[in-house]
Amino acid sequence: MTRDAIKNLILEIIEDIDEDADFDTLQSDKPLRDQLDLDSMDFLDIVMELRKRHKLQIPEEDYPELATLDSCVNYLEPLLADA
Amino acid sequence: MHVPLIIIGGGLSGLAAALRFARFIPDVLLLEQHSRVGGLNSYYYRNNRLFETGLHAITNYASPNEKNAPLNRLLRQLKIKRKELELHQQNKSEIRFINKQSLSFSNDFSLLDSEIKTKFPSSHKGFRKLLLLINSYDPFKPVPFISAKIIIEEHLQNPLLTDMLLCPLMYYGSSIENDMDLGQFVIMFKAIFEEGMFRPGGTIKDFLDLLLHHYHSYGGVIRTKTGVKQIISTGKKVSGVILENGDEISCDYLLSTIGSEETFTLLGKDSGIKQMIRLGFVETIFEVDPVTKLSSGHDNTIIFYNNGSEFRYQQPEQLVDFNSGVICMPQNFQDLPACPYKEVRTTHLANYEYWARGASNRSAYIKAKDNTAGSSLSVAEKILGNFAENIVYRDTFTPLTIKRFTAKKKGAIYGNPIKIKDGDIGYDNLFLAGTDQGFLGIIGSMMSGVSIINQHILPRL
Repeated sequence: MTRDAIKNLILEIIEDIDEDADFDTLQSDKPLRDQLDLDSMDFLDIVMELRKRHKLQIPEEDYPELATLDSCVNYLEPLLADA
Repeated sequence: MHVPLIIIGGGLSGLAAALRFARFIPDVLLLEQHSRVGGLNSYYYRNNRLFETGLHAITNYASPNEKNAPLNRLLRQLKIKRKELELHQQNKSEIRFINKQSLSFSNDFSLLDSEIKTKFPSSHKGFRKLLLLINSYDPFKPVPFISAKIIIEEHLQNPLLTDMLLCPLMYYGSSIENDMDLGQFVIMFKAIFEEGMFRPGGTIKDFLDLLLHHYHSYGGVIRTKTGVKQIISTGKKVSGVILENGDEISCDYLLSTIGSEETFTLLGKDSGIKQMIRLGFVETIFEVDPVTKLSSGHDNTIIFYNNGSEFRYQQPEQLVDFNSGVICMPQNFQDLPACPYKEVRTTHLANYEYWARGASNRSAYIKAKDNTAGSSLSVAEKILGNFAENIVYRDTFTPLTIKRFTAKKKGAIYGNPIKIKDGDIGYDNLFLAGTDQGFLGIIGSMMSGVSIINQHILPRL
């Protein structure tokens, strides 16, 4: 999966969690949670959706890697290389 | 048979937990001993119609734009759209301490604030300070019991106002006598006074069916009329359950929503939890002719009343204490579709042991129920005006009725006074959700199921 495709995947998952999420002003190097009003419960949805869609097992200690859109892409790129 | 997760109890916490889990991993098995789901919030058929049990009003109302309000968070977690529920807000409700004072409140918090300003002017400043404390307090932090009553009284310097504010919060969710834990008080204050009350447009059956529909659509499985006889455990690890019918099902994780002691009983272990008084309740439904005009307080959704010299929220020394209670008029929500019937529902504190003692004598038990309905009617008429002549149907639930249908120990709807806030009862893969975890009310119990799944189970699978 390309970096753009991974980015779109994350945005798609977030849109699925909150259809009113505003992506226009989203800064890819800033924490998603602060910008989108996501709480830790919503955040878990991202992890679980990745598991459901791509059979990705993300261990709890790696959750901080998913803090920003950029860090998501960096973390997921090797894991989704063959996807 | 093996499943990743077994959930014991198809009440609202179990249903919500099951639905949350099934969204991501469909192989979840929900076990309910009764023929219907819902637990305390269920329904039955009598007199050619459906009667709801439990539900007076749902607390924690929030408008759609309040994204982090419990109601909206819960719906997001379960992927249920608000429009599937069709929310109707309360008209307004009242706390009435007869011959003393009355306070109205609604989903607009400024009503309660102005009532206090007008009727308890010298306490208003203290009330504002109390609000600051409520809104900055973290009720989920596990800390030892702090008396809410002492803190409130310190702020308000008025025992009557303290009792009036505690009355609805206790009746809608306190498992302990004459006080509340500060954290519990903060949760309930926000849920009832700051957020407010509503109900769905349909019946509780429609609501439960909606949850089941979503659950089934993810592939989740439910077995009703399926009691659990034993939880199989070795050391701190659980490996499955043995059903009443002898079948054995193994699992990776187990979530119990049936209460802490009840869970330890299935484990064959002593909970080690101190035995405290469990508060029982009686409820009577009066179905009245829809043309009935109540002379007073008729547009209120709920009236929390006290008629005693002081307010006592404690186990009565008789079958029922009619000195205080709750009167609910479930048709009094905004813009509800026209309904062919009207109801007045009353709730009072009751003594389980006294009811249990007399239960073996069937005719005496029925007579006690009749007397309860009669006395409850008298207090309701004192508040609402006469409506006895318009009653078309009447039914009374005692703590024994509640125990029979919900399996709650001593019919105590709010469960064990000792709550286990993190759902951890000392096992690696068995957790507790529901009433004894400590979130109460429909939104609270559902949030309990969801949060225990999120916290302990989903991240580990």
